[in-house]
Amino acid sequence: MDGVGHHLAFWSLAVITVGAALGILVSRNLIHAMVMLILSFIGVAGLYLLLSAEFIAVVQILVYVGAISVLMLFAILLTPRAARDNAETAMRYPGLILMGLVIAATVFVALETDWGAVREEPVTESARIIGQSLINEFVLPFEIAAVLLTAALVGAVALARRDDEDIDAHEQSLTLEGREDSGGSS
Amino acid sequence: MTIGLEHFLVLGALLFGVGLYVALAKRNAIGVLMGVELMLNAVNLTLVAFGRFVESEVALSTSVFVVFIIAVAAAEIAVGLALAMVVYRNRDTINVDRVNLLKW
Repeated sequence: MDGVGHHLAFWSLAVITVGAALGILVSRNLIHAMVMLILSFIGVAGLYLLLSAEFIAVVQILVYVGAISVLMLFAILLTPRAARDNAETAMRYPGLILMGLVIAATVFVALETDWGAVREEPVTESARIIGQSLINEFVLPFEIAAVLLTAALVGAVALARRDDEDIDAHEQSLTLEGREDSGGSS
Repeated sequence: MTIGLEHFLVLGALLFGVGLYVALAKRNAIGVLMGVELMLNAVNLTLVAFGRFVESEVALSTSVFVVFIIAVAAAEIAVGLALAMVVYRNRDTINVDRVNLLKW
């Protein structure tokens, strides 16, 4: 990776990704922070393309930019009376210190470690290899992931829906107030 | 200077640090979830970079890991947002420093 195009792509994508992440950090408005997060996701997808991982890049766009971002935007819009100001808690300065320490330690390890032989040419047809390993050696985790997704989504729906019995009982107690037969079957 | 593994690792470290700060310090629960997503993205980027650059038989297993991480992240964000909605419905706020029901 030493062509001019590689340099241009990497540095512009890196600036977009980290700049958008810093935008989330400093933004005062939660909607603006969400838009910055989407921009950061798109930048990471571009970096995947630069790393010759086309399938991961497409999944990143579909799942993160397409699904998760819309889900989070809806969650912001459905909590209208909550604070939208994206302010910090009292953990601000400890968080800053921890962020600096983690970045320093990880960068030190990344630069000082000898990572061994470097592959010059990327592996082609990564989607085919991913698909074959998903149905061969990783078939059990694959099925477990399917069960996990089903359980999580059913759980999310069960959490987020209003409890109909509670509402029914509440309305009945309002309309039937004063009557003696309070032991209704709701 | 060629673009190598270290470039991507440093970029992943920066993204992870920013995500850590956002997850720790933001007041809004959805902002905290944004930080978690940033951290997961940083880890995925690091894994894909290792799979691209390290010469190994199992290097492409990293891509399979990334697919699993994305699936679990999607499940996690769905449950997290549902929890935020429930807390909002019961308490009229999703500020994490005002949800202190379990604090003694």
